[in-house]
Amino acid sequence: MSISNPEFLAKLKQESLEAEKRFIGNIAGRLGRSATGPAPEHPFRGAPDFWTSYELDREQQISRFMSNWQAAGGFAERASGMSEVSERICRILGELNAGSTIRQNLTELAQLGLEERLPELRHDAWNGLQTGAALRTAEKADAGIVLADYAVAYTGSIVVTSSMDKGRSVSLLPNILIAVIPAERMFTRLGEVMGRIAAIPGEQFPAGVHFISGPSRSSDIENDLTIGVHGPGVAYALIVG
Amino acid sequence: MSTPQGSNVKDRAKTALKDEFLVDAVKFTTERLKNSKKAATAENGNWEEWRERGRQIRLHTIAHLDYYLSRFVENARAQGVHVHFAPEAKDAARIALEIAEHQGAKSVVKSKSMVSEEVHINEAFESIGIESIESDLGEYIIQLANEPPSHIIIPAIHKNRHQIAELLSKEAGETLEPETKILAGFARRKLRDKFLEADIGLTGCNFGIAETGSVVIFENEGNARMVSTVPKTQITLMGMERLIPTWDDLEVMATLLPRSATGQKLTMYMSGITGPKRAQDGDGPEEMHIIIVDNGRSLQLGDPEFQELLNCIRCGACLNACPVYRHIGGHSYPGTYSGPIGAVLTPALNKNAGEWQDIANASSLCGACYEACPVKIPLHDMLVYLRNRKVERGYTAAGEKMAMKGFKMLMKSHKRFRKAVKAGQIGQKLLVRDGYIRSQIGPLGGWTAYRYIPELPKQSFREQWPDLVTEVEKSVQPMAADVKLRMEQIVKARGKGGQHA
Repeated sequence: MSISNPEFLAKLKQESLEAEKRFIGNIAGRLGRSATGPAPEHPFRGAPDFWTSYELDREQQISRFMSNWQAAGGFAERASGMSEVSERICRILGELNAGSTIRQNLTELAQLGLEERLPELRHDAWNGLQTGAALRTAEKADAGIVLADYAVAYTGSIVVTSSMDKGRSVSLLPNILIAVIPAERMFTRLGEVMGRIAAIPGEQFPAGVHFISGPSRSSDIENDLTIGVHGPGVAYALIVG
Repeated sequence: MSTPQGSNVKDRAKTALKDEFLVDAVKFTTERLKNSKKAATAENGNWEEWRERGRQIRLHTIAHLDYYLSRFVENARAQGVHVHFAPEAKDAARIALEIAEHQGAKSVVKSKSMVSEEVHINEAFESIGIESIESDLGEYIIQLANEPPSHIIIPAIHKNRHQIAELLSKEAGETLEPETKILAGFARRKLRDKFLEADIGLTGCNFGIAETGSVVIFENEGNARMVSTVPKTQITLMGMERLIPTWDDLEVMATLLPRSATGQKLTMYMSGITGPKRAQDGDGPEEMHIIIVDNGRSLQLGDPEFQELLNCIRCGACLNACPVYRHIGGHSYPGTYSGPIGAVLTPALNKNAGEWQDIANASSLCGACYEACPVKIPLHDMLVYLRNRKVERGYTAAGEKMAMKGFKMLMKSHKRFRKAVKAGQIGQKLLVRDGYIRSQIGPLGGWTAYRYIPELPKQSFREQWPDLVTEVEKSVQPMAADVKLRMEQIVKARGKGGQHA
């Protein structure tokens, strides 16, 4: 058995509800309240005021993003349109001797036409309906190709969210990550993206929201930087527009 | 040998100081992290404003923790999370084991979590025959060595590459060269298999976002993403104070935490996990549990001296700044947390002052920890409060108690004090060489083992006083008449008001 049966979970739920009263009651009591209070005033929400008006124009955003991404050990390039992106991906896959790709199941990525351009490679699109099989496909792929939901210039990060068509594994399991970033999805500050994420209604809220700022890394052995410890060791950011 | 040895900080520090690699490695690493932080905060340009905002957010959240925790629980449940409450460490272990046993789990993969160290979750799983594997590279190394972490951010700071190669070679069943690439490559392959086999993924939690019930994890390796993506069940251990109200507030924490920890603008991965996978998602856990742990945290609530301790975001900056930690390393501290935060947190989480040990005394109270702290926790003040409480509750060493009594008796009467100084001036003659006492006889050793005592002067200050007064009177020139007049006028004018520039 790999997940719990409903009776067991119902028993845990019952225990949890009982424990919750005591647990949170204890916190309220220690804070001098007899019961959990109503929503408090929240005067210091988010970034300081000076920061919320900080803006970069599109060109500054792109150059800031690229220098941050490169400083973190990633590769960043600019392309004028999707056909140039396609050319660049073919070049990258060739340079790295990749034998297979997996991509998010998105029209924009399908239109790259990798199957026609590189027929000798194996190409898969993420299929969320095949739980288990999809993950194994991603695990075997050499390169994962994603379309970023957002990007943040100030930290040099892309954001990918999970859904049926956008498996978390695509940006995680293959050793090569290629992220396509339409320039209009680029923002200056983290806060601009946070606000957009928080605004997604509960029932549509993605289970996984991942900010990625370069290749996987570790300095755990004598402070010596190692790239590609668990996640991708090669991280390309291709900015379109 | 760098496992903790000895029941007090002095003994453990002595062991640590004998390990030359450890001493150098701790210095080198803390220096590197400290400099990276310095560069990152300078680059940021408005560090103090971010710091102040971080403090405000944490103060506000903790002051309304009951409300935000209720919101978090409600929103997490709405996304399908099974939430559990663990008043004590043993409750957290019990709940995790119950889930694992029910599922018939054989193995658990873990990402870094300090709470899990508090709970001793690996030992708990292993006690019922479930393999529990650390997947953070540093944590994996020290798990193989059977040692606790010695730094919050770089847990294997005290191991050199040869020791690491030895540990991993044993695991590999072949000799691995002590090269970072080879060693990390082996760990990647080995752990990749473990991720794919594991029944349960266990994570920690940097922040819980109340408005959506999300768990946020900062990391560089991608192992926490693996742990929360591949196994069918995810269990997250969360300290009950980890909350922030909103995603907007996450921007502030994301600005403060990585910069303070490693000097990065953001860690390579920052993941917000909100509930188990959606019905049509092809990956992510099918079942998600969050175990909310108190384990002594609530003792700080409502305590004006210690409530701010709950503001801590576990960045480790205070360790890197601390002159004591930088010399003796993490294993000289008792308990899970080391450095200044550990020196305060470990006793604070423990109700029983009798078990507090002597770690709060191992500090020069220089305040470097406060300066380094991204949410401005006054750790150096707290160390003083701890010392205070220990004395108030009667846990002082017998020798110290006696010495204080003697001191009190002496200071109460100037006659006694004078006699004692006289006796000292005569008695020291046997011990003074070149103006200093170096002898370590009896209680003197407590001081002279580390530095010399200057000899008592031939004449005490009190004895010198009559001569000093005359000398001072002679050397003071009377004030020039015009200056005196001007100053008298200023004083007269004071208080009339209206004329000040």
